[in-house]
Amino acid sequence: MARIVYRYGDGTTRAVERATPASVMRAAVEAGIPGIVGECGGQTMCATCHVYVADGYLDRLPDIGDDEEEMLGCTASPRDEVRSRLSCQIVVGSGLDEIEVEVPETQI
Amino acid sequence: MPNTAKAPVADWFTLDQLHDDPYPIYARLRREAPIAWVPATGGYFLTSYQACRDVNLDQRIFTATRDYTRRYSMGASMLHKDDPEHAVERKAFGGVLKPNAINRDWNRIFAENARRYLGELREAGPGADLVEHFSGPFAAECLREMLGFQNAAHEDVHRWSQTIMDGNSNSDDDEAVWERYRRSGEEIDAALDEMIPRLRSNPDGSLISALVNGPEPMSLESVRANVKMTVGGGVKEPRDTLVIAMWGLLSHPDQLDQVRNDPGAATLAFDEAVRWVSPIGMYPRKATRPTTLAGIDLPEGANLGVVIASANRDETVFANGEEFDLNRERKPHLAFANGAHICAGQHAAKAMIGRVALPTLLAGLPGLRPAQDTEPRSGGWIFRRIHELRLTWDA
Repeated sequence: MARIVYRYGDGTTRAVERATPASVMRAAVEAGIPGIVGECGGQTMCATCHVYVADGYLDRLPDIGDDEEEMLGCTASPRDEVRSRLSCQIVVGSGLDEIEVEVPETQI
Repeated sequence: MPNTAKAPVADWFTLDQLHDDPYPIYARLRREAPIAWVPATGGYFLTSYQACRDVNLDQRIFTATRDYTRRYSMGASMLHKDDPEHAVERKAFGGVLKPNAINRDWNRIFAENARRYLGELREAGPGADLVEHFSGPFAAECLREMLGFQNAAHEDVHRWSQTIMDGNSNSDDDEAVWERYRRSGEEIDAALDEMIPRLRSNPDGSLISALVNGPEPMSLESVRANVKMTVGGGVKEPRDTLVIAMWGLLSHPDQLDQVRNDPGAATLAFDEAVRWVSPIGMYPRKATRPTTLAGIDLPEGANLGVVIASANRDETVFANGEEFDLNRERKPHLAFANGAHICAGQHAAKAMIGRVALPTLLAGLPGLRPAQDTEPRSGGWIFRRIHELRLTWDA
């Protein structure tokens, strides 16, 4: 069982547990987690699943690809050069069993 | 298991009424039957935000593929394929319509074209029609360059787009519409036959070049279908969105002043325009198996009309959604769809209209206002547009 914690600016959190592999975006959309839009369904065609990855998880993630890099230039909330990722590119349940991300103030 | 129910029957409106003004009909459908069986279309209408959004979360249950029963077909573009077939063609579009290419190649072309057609609009003088003298040729010329049709004129691309979209919404089965549709298809095939070898020898940043020179080149059949799909949506939609955005501003002088004083707000006007009067009002899906959506039973094979024009005015999501208000609380609308089939041209459209065309027009036409007292004539529900918007300014 993989576990994802979504943290909000007001200090509250929501957690999702997944029995099957899923992206942090897809898990949020399917569980109705607010603040993750995922407009393009995970094709790196938008930047509406932007998250700030919590300390301690960053070095366990795959590198940022060219498509993700391009769309990270279009985030609605400011990009953090170290912690910003598109959550559609972070998959839990295959090698990564837990992660915590901060949900930005706005995605559009 | 939650209780489920059969879809209510909505037989109290006609397609003509829908064409004239679909919004009061959509408002009643959202209140009474957000998923309804509509005998006039032989399908179900999905008019709530939630249903329109959720239908795109599972392509195995709700397919974009269709049977080609139309007399003349443009062939299957990626619009009518599901993943993984869809994703292969989507990937072949590469970065041509994405932000880096827009910044590198297209913004300059958008700006040149906006200046050129602003000049033509000024030359036509006060009383000129925005559609005829600016938005039509501007959108067609920008798309012509992005596609790489060096052997066509913007008039050709514009005619192709309109006749393809007329065919796509030819629910009356008008023979003359099919004939124009078929002829445009042949003209595009001929133009492609000429351009493909040229772009193979001299690749550039255009879409046709990307399709034929990419790591996994597309079959000719798929190139033709996807170029036709792009021509269809790629002129008509930005052309009509610009006019809707302009009408939204002109009919709300405080918001017009706001954008005049802060051209950066023009991208908000663009986003609000496509929410307010979505140029693509409905697209089809089909249920591949018996399923339920928002508590309503749908049989296998059910034809679904995903009415995003209605979803984008859903009062449970957009307060006072019938109004044009670029300062409304920002929420994701569905004008470009969501999920796998989200509009590939949305970033280019936003740059063309929100960053370039609207600010160029407002800066170049002091005292801009409607030339007529009456509301401009609108029509359509599958594709909705303002047919003509006459402008005047301080010459």
